[in-house]
Amino acid sequence: MVTAPANPKNNAPRQASLEVFHLIQQFLYREARLLDEQRYDDWFQLMDEEFTYWVPVPQARYRRDKKGTYERDRMAHFDDSLAELKLRASRWKQRTAWSEDPPTRNIHYISNIEVEPSEGENDWLVRSVAISLRNRNEDEEDWLGGRRIDLIRQTPEGLRLVRREVFIAQTVFLSKNFNTFI
Amino acid sequence: MVETFQRENNLAASDLDFHQLVDVEAGWIDRRIFWNTDIYQLELERIFARCWCFVGHESQFIEPGDFLTTYIGQDAVIVAKDRKGEVNVFLNSCTHRGNRVCFAETGTARQFTCNFHGWAFGLDGGLVSIHEEEHYSGCANFDKSKLGLHRARTESYKGLIFATFDPKAPSLNEYLGDYRYYLDVLLDNDPGGTEFLEGNVKSRLRSNWKFAAENFVGDAYHAGWTHASAAAAIFGRGVKVNPEKSFQASVNGHGTEFGLDLIGNAMALGEPEVVDYLKENEARFAERLGKLRAKMVGSMSSANVFPNLAYLPGLNTWRTWLPKGAHEIELNTWVLVNRDAPKSLKEAYRRGISRTFSPTGMFESDDGENWEHCTHSNAGVVTRRQKLHYGLGLDSAIDHEEFPGKIHRVQLNDANQRAFYKRWADLMSASDWSSLDNN
Repeated sequence: MVTAPANPKNNAPRQASLEVFHLIQQFLYREARLLDEQRYDDWFQLMDEEFTYWVPVPQARYRRDKKGTYERDRMAHFDDSLAELKLRASRWKQRTAWSEDPPTRNIHYISNIEVEPSEGENDWLVRSVAISLRNRNEDEEDWLGGRRIDLIRQTPEGLRLVRREVFIAQTVFLSKNFNTFI
Repeated sequence: MVETFQRENNLAASDLDFHQLVDVEAGWIDRRIFWNTDIYQLELERIFARCWCFVGHESQFIEPGDFLTTYIGQDAVIVAKDRKGEVNVFLNSCTHRGNRVCFAETGTARQFTCNFHGWAFGLDGGLVSIHEEEHYSGCANFDKSKLGLHRARTESYKGLIFATFDPKAPSLNEYLGDYRYYLDVLLDNDPGGTEFLEGNVKSRLRSNWKFAAENFVGDAYHAGWTHASAAAAIFGRGVKVNPEKSFQASVNGHGTEFGLDLIGNAMALGEPEVVDYLKENEARFAERLGKLRAKMVGSMSSANVFPNLAYLPGLNTWRTWLPKGAHEIELNTWVLVNRDAPKSLKEAYRRGISRTFSPTGMFESDDGENWEHCTHSNAGVVTRRQKLHYGLGLDSAIDHEEFPGKIHRVQLNDANQRAFYKRWADLMSASDWSSLDNN
């Protein structure tokens, strides 16, 4: 099993309190629900202005290979700034987005949440597992699972997502498209 | 090489009159060609096991041992560079019990060893060694030199590597014919040549492979409607085609529909640097391609090389439609760039294409939806009896002083699709290459 990169800062002394853990957990659940409800503008409100979103395309390589399953410079499903994510979402909102009408029924399932300290005083490195289930039209069903590593910041306005990396397991993307975020 | 069996003759389908199923003179197509599995099985024999199929770009094979795995039709193959510098293509199936011998999609290897009994094959497909060979000491018909993996013929054109399993197929140059004029628009606009960016995207669509191929060979018509939402999001307006200065060109079933607007496709990438690069380099492109062809480098256009290699100038996505049964394809995509282009331009392409022409992209999302339902509606027996209309532009053929091939005016046209299906019917009807007219 290829694992996502380890947190280089996990020797830091700070630990997440139960309260912080609870806040972050609820933040992730709410964020997932906003995606299910396709409330993209509200979802974007949870992002820091500098938000980056990376979902690399994994490759099945032999263990002895010098290159890994996930590499930064390879083709990615997403390698976006906040503005670029907003551009993608703006298509879904067009009246002429034929394939979004009737809408896809989305369920984002979030689990395996671990909260670790990060470099910044108000930052937390949050690991989770996300599974996206989409149903469309009569009988179309698509699943996508990934391990996520988020950088989440505590701000006076509440928690904000600063960075998200999603390490999905499908090398061949077993769907015709992906019309949500994970 | 071990004696290979003659191709199977799929009688049920080979009795069909394929030129009647695709009536290219009148512009009607019988939907059974998108649904019937016996027709699909015959396609594997008469199209995919016979034509030159794209397997990779030379930039993917730098060092000896560099390899990737892909498919020709549904035949799994390994493409590997050997120590002499040759790129070889051979079946990914052991000559002992038929197990797959390479499970990685790409990488570097010294040999490919079967997991079952340890038979190991070299970078040219030859059988190098086997586990405990002494057991075979008294085995009269065990000859390692005859137990290599079945090889395909391999030839390349300006960086693109193709392979065919048919020893009687014409040379790749003959097979591509005058279509090379159009390929050169992307493959030869810069003295440094081209390369693929690192990595690729693979996805599955529940579509017959021909709906994807015909879409790229000549369906400019769908862009304005299917992609209205993506165009509105990116440009803030719709897609408009110039009827005066746009064309369709086809050669041997290969085809491209194109405008002469230099940047039409590139605009869709949403990366200003790409548009600037095209504008700044138009005169340089013209030195190699001539003034007219230089206007095609990033223009509103699409193309498909028969049977299943497609690309979009300007967006520079290159893709294969790998058939996975009559009703499913695996779409493999790469990004082609000029090798000497600035690093920042390559990065703009890498990120831009994921937002546009990839399964998560704004354009591709809509295409897959259409092709899947064009395919699966044909499960209905009465539906399947209703022929489809391919009659747009039946009277639009012209002669053009510069463009080679069969030329039709106005890129909004079914002409290239009819030419694609004519080639398809010719191949499906022909018993071998000698009875085919290659022009």
